[in-house]
Amino acid sequence: MTDAAEGAKRPLIEGAASRRPTGLLLVAIPVFLVGWLVIWPIINAIGRTLWRPDASGTMGFDLSSYVFFFSDQYSINNLTITLWTTLMCAILLLVICLPIALYLRFSHGRLPAYVQALAIFPMFVPSIILAYAFIRVLGPNGMVDILLNSVGLPKIRTPYLTPWGPVIGLVWDNIPLTVLILLSGLGNVANHAIEAARDVGANRLQVFWHIILPRISNSLLVAISFAVLGIFSSFTLPYLLGPAAPEMMGPFMNRTFREVNDPLNAITQAVITFGFCIAFGLFYVRSVARNQGQ
Amino acid sequence: MSVLKISEVSKIFAGPTVAVDKFSLDVADGELVCLLGPSGSGKSTLLRMIGGFERPTSGLITIDGEDITHQPPEKRPTGMVFQSHALWTHMNVFKNLAFGLKLRRLPASEIKQRVEAVLELVGLAGYGGRGVNQLSGGQQQRVALARSLVLEPKILLLDEPFASLDQHLRERLREEVRDIQQRLKITTLFVTHGQDEALAMADRIVVMRDGRTEQVDRPDIIYREPQTPFVAGFIGTMNLVEGEVSNGHFKRAGFAVDMPIADGPAVLAVRPEALDLTAAEPGTARVHRVTDYGTHGLVDLDLRDGTRLKSMVAHPDLFKPGQGVDLRPQAVSAYRDNQRAYRS
Amino acid sequence: MERVSPVISAPAMAPNRPPIDWAGIIFTALLSAAIVLPLIVVGTWAFTEVWRYPNVVPQQFGLRFWNQTLTRADVWSALTISLQLSTVVTLLSAAICLPAAYAFARMDFPGRTVLFFSFLAGHAFPKFGLLIAIAAIFLQLNLIGTFWGVVLIQLVGTLLFMIWIPVAAFQSVDRRMEEAARDVGASPLRVFWSITLPQAGPTIAAAVLLSFVGTFYETEGAWLIGAPGIRTMPVLMISFINNQMVIQYGAVLSVMLWVPSFIALMFARRVIGGGAFARGFGG
Repeated sequence: MTDAAEGAKRPLIEGAASRRPTGLLLVAIPVFLVGWLVIWPIINAIGRTLWRPDASGTMGFDLSSYVFFFSDQYSINNLTITLWTTLMCAILLLVICLPIALYLRFSHGRLPAYVQALAIFPMFVPSIILAYAFIRVLGPNGMVDILLNSVGLPKIRTPYLTPWGPVIGLVWDNIPLTVLILLSGLGNVANHAIEAARDVGANRLQVFWHIILPRISNSLLVAISFAVLGIFSSFTLPYLLGPAAPEMMGPFMNRTFREVNDPLNAITQAVITFGFCIAFGLFYVRSVARNQGQ
Repeated sequence: MSVLKISEVSKIFAGPTVAVDKFSLDVADGELVCLLGPSGSGKSTLLRMIGGFERPTSGLITIDGEDITHQPPEKRPTGMVFQSHALWTHMNVFKNLAFGLKLRRLPASEIKQRVEAVLELVGLAGYGGRGVNQLSGGQQQRVALARSLVLEPKILLLDEPFASLDQHLRERLREEVRDIQQRLKITTLFVTHGQDEALAMADRIVVMRDGRTEQVDRPDIIYREPQTPFVAGFIGTMNLVEGEVSNGHFKRAGFAVDMPIADGPAVLAVRPEALDLTAAEPGTARVHRVTDYGTHGLVDLDLRDGTRLKSMVAHPDLFKPGQGVDLRPQAVSAYRDNQRAYRS
Repeated sequence: MERVSPVISAPAMAPNRPPIDWAGIIFTALLSAAIVLPLIVVGTWAFTEVWRYPNVVPQQFGLRFWNQTLTRADVWSALTISLQLSTVVTLLSAAICLPAAYAFARMDFPGRTVLFFSFLAGHAFPKFGLLIAIAAIFLQLNLIGTFWGVVLIQLVGTLLFMIWIPVAAFQSVDRRMEEAARDVGASPLRVFWSITLPQAGPTIAAAVLLSFVGTFYETEGAWLIGAPGIRTMPVLMISFINNQMVIQYGAVLSVMLWVPSFIALMFARRVIGGGAFARGFGG
């Protein structure tokens, strides 16, 4: 077997020994788990919502659960609030994280190190603790109210249990990864490229627009994709901080599945979230694969 | 003690690329043989096949008559020193050396004794407790050598062991390695692409090209009597001039040398130190540049058609750029069909 | 949360006295207010016995609620379950993923590249949607509300980290080190144990820790698959928040919960920061 098999293909990473099925055996269990608990549920979910028995019990193509979702005003509202939340989070994340990343990329010293530590810190705060902290700070009679009151100002209109609650929580939660991804993208911008642009007379804004932005556009898209994938079907923060109605897709699916005990419609909602995120998911996979291939 | 025999060994990689092509070589007991060749000549692949890290596609390798062709590396009586030293950075020097002995289940006292003896041999007595990363490049390479020697292998294999060291250190280490090798009388195969290293250390040199042997000989013979134009050009500096032989004369652009061989194309080979110059106007060649090295000088010459030659002269101040010279080759060879056809 | 700074900071050019880093000061102030302040508030609540609005500082500090929280049976059972889950999942994950990672890093077999990237699949879909799809299958298998159902769901969540990070670690081990060990007489298994594993050790330890901490805090899978039978710490915390129980319970639980995360933070300081981590996310 050696000659023919060895001639077949060079390994992805140089230097792999011989082409033996031992390797397949070693990766079998994790691959099986991915197949069983990721790939199969997705196929199964799509299949079960499209191809199912009708009233008389015969199997057939059936779009009715989707038709119901898109004709039901409550479902539509939930989808709309989800899209709105995702969009707001994406915009806020860019507006907040891009300046931080730019600052970190082009500064040296102790202050930037501290800023970086702060920006990455939320990664180590579980979202459940974040939710609790949010309520204690921004909730009714929370810390902000206490501080405002102490200087004689009126209370804020609390974002707790409004659509802004999940937005603030999700942005907080996603700052670290967004900053890290943007920072890694900014690492590809060479100092001398910027110095050369300054040399021919570009001001800071022009340098940003013409030199930096084109180089990091891919990282921007990856950061956005990653955030969107995480935010679109987030559960914990919207469930704890958001309004009861309309609610985001995460809590909506949870309630349909567990409280209404209606798996079919819950799966339909899941497939719809897949549909809305498919472009971001594919882009994310492509970027990671390309990065790994280098 | 130990004799290495390589017979008709080939290695074909996917592609397919023939890395080693029916290579045969006998290495005598206690001999140090250098495999010399440019990168891609198959010398490292050959060494890795002897060490057991590549499987030969065909052929036979024996040590003292025992067939080891298909044995895994851990079963072979060979010791390999790698280019990047490949020391285990999570172990200190002593543990690096003791690892192989422990695998052989030797008693601790004997391990200690043997490790210390070998450290002494490579000039690192007392370094056992050091971390590998606390050592200099030269010391690391000595530890790598010691790690192989401590197991008393029948065959020592060295894969460009000095490639990552600077020139000065390289020269010192190759003397040390040669001394140790001769003291232990260990059969050694040494891969290098540096001709200096090969000429300085080897009992015999194997010049390799495209997976095949070009020439196997003692260093002085390789230097003085290269059998092919490739060897002539690879070892030392050599002027190689393509030209035509007719009526017993080799000719190229006004440059003529007596050469009593049949008519036809030939490659003339003459070393710079065997090419004497005399001033002459207009002359067969013109001086392009003169470089004074203190002990001697090197003159770059152009024949009339622009062919560049080098000549080594004792008094470089006698020549000026632009000046015409006549050429007096003292010793020449000629090659035809990749074989030596003439030697003066 | 508006902290838009118009300043795009450029390399400091001033030769003598560095200019005041206004951008840095602004970022520091805003981030401190947004990130450190909430945690200080939670920490303060945990050690507070009486804090009535509108006082800026609590009227009475004390450890009474630590005592009360720690004597609650549901806290102890949740903590036990969480630790059991994390331990089982981490051990299982290490047992199945490390050999697989070694195979991906060092062996060649049919479909290697496709299988390697297949672990991304779980991260290319919205997580809760995927959980619903899995829950629908678990429903048929009667795995909902069982310990092993939650183990399975969290095991899948650790696969990507536990394979990709060790693969990178194994690949960065110099092959010549392994060959040198073979050369001195070590069997392939011995080489793995004595050379490859110790060399890749620190990075693999980071991955193992990451999967432990990640499993400990995993909320959504445990909530959807585990309830009502399996109640982990984060799930318990959700009910504390939802049911508006004594404020301090949540605070005490938060501080307790944060301890494993703090250990991870200390450990990860070396791993994160280099671009390698973000690159794992496709950055």
